[in-house]
Amino acid sequence: MTLIRESRLVYPVIMSIHLTCIALFGGMIVITDLRLLGWALQSRSIADVVNGLRWWKRLGFVIMASMGILLAGSKAETYYPNPFFWTKLSLLGLVLIHAVIFRPRVYNHPEHLDASPAAPSRAKAAGALSLVLWTSVLCAGRLIGYYESPATATRNTSSATATSSRQQQRL
Amino acid sequence: MLVGANAVSDALNSSEWVFPIFECFHITALAWSIGMIALVDLRLLGVGIQHSTSSELARATELWTLIGLSTVLMSGPVLFLSDPRMYLYNSSFRFKMYALAIALIFNFTIHRKVALSDGSPRLFRVLTAVVSLALWASVVFGGLFIAFV
Repeated sequence: MTLIRESRLVYPVIMSIHLTCIALFGGMIVITDLRLLGWALQSRSIADVVNGLRWWKRLGFVIMASMGILLAGSKAETYYPNPFFWTKLSLLGLVLIHAVIFRPRVYNHPEHLDASPAAPSRAKAAGALSLVLWTSVLCAGRLIGYYESPATATRNTSSATATSSRQQQRL
Repeated sequence: MLVGANAVSDALNSSEWVFPIFECFHITALAWSIGMIALVDLRLLGVGIQHSTSSELARATELWTLIGLSTVLMSGPVLFLSDPRMYLYNSSFRFKMYALAIALIFNFTIHRKVALSDGSPRLFRVLTAVVSLALWASVVFGGLFIAFV
């Protein structure tokens, strides 16, 4: 009994931590991107922002990814057939490619970017792409909860109304 | 109030994509608004973008926080109207609304005042940051648990 109650709670708690981390550490990505684009915190150098947040963003990523693995791992059989889950993973793959491309050119040497009066276009491209990619990751992640596998769908059609079936999908 | 909301609910439930799309806006804007507030909180705790003062950070993020908050606060009621009765009777939703009200009031009063005055005592700054982070985390937890209670 305790086990069932616990497992009923553990999943949403992990998900809440995942989401809280998105709020906490997502802001760091956003402010870095906005600074690279030249839209915020202009009074500070790019180096200040990038260097100051580097380790916090890494910490945030590790926590978020671990929670994500726990979430997907605990319900592997429902995540595996879910197209939004694979969309999200592919987008995270693109985030990795973004890092491979822009780390040596932008993030690892932010001082070079401050040397010129206006941020170079590669810095702006890195910021803009990062914003788009992470927003897409977020949306794909949210949509995972809305996919109903054909097997479940046929089981539900008889009894479920639009609202109550959405209630189930929200999980 | 609930009777009047029926037309809105119908419109929101007519397409299976309307609700998820508004939810995507809601969550993206949540990261923008709470994330920006958290940056200031971290600075109050003495970590993060160390080179700038908390007042500088608060001013720089103010506009983006407001944009994020207004998007969250506009998409939220739309989600609510999709099924008002369910939300009103949902204990987690009610918890979230109380937490949100307190978080918003706190953010624009004490939090703002402390962040903008760089000279306030360290204990006061740390306390403000901790309360702010705890309040916003409660809002997120309350929101997610709507689907689980």
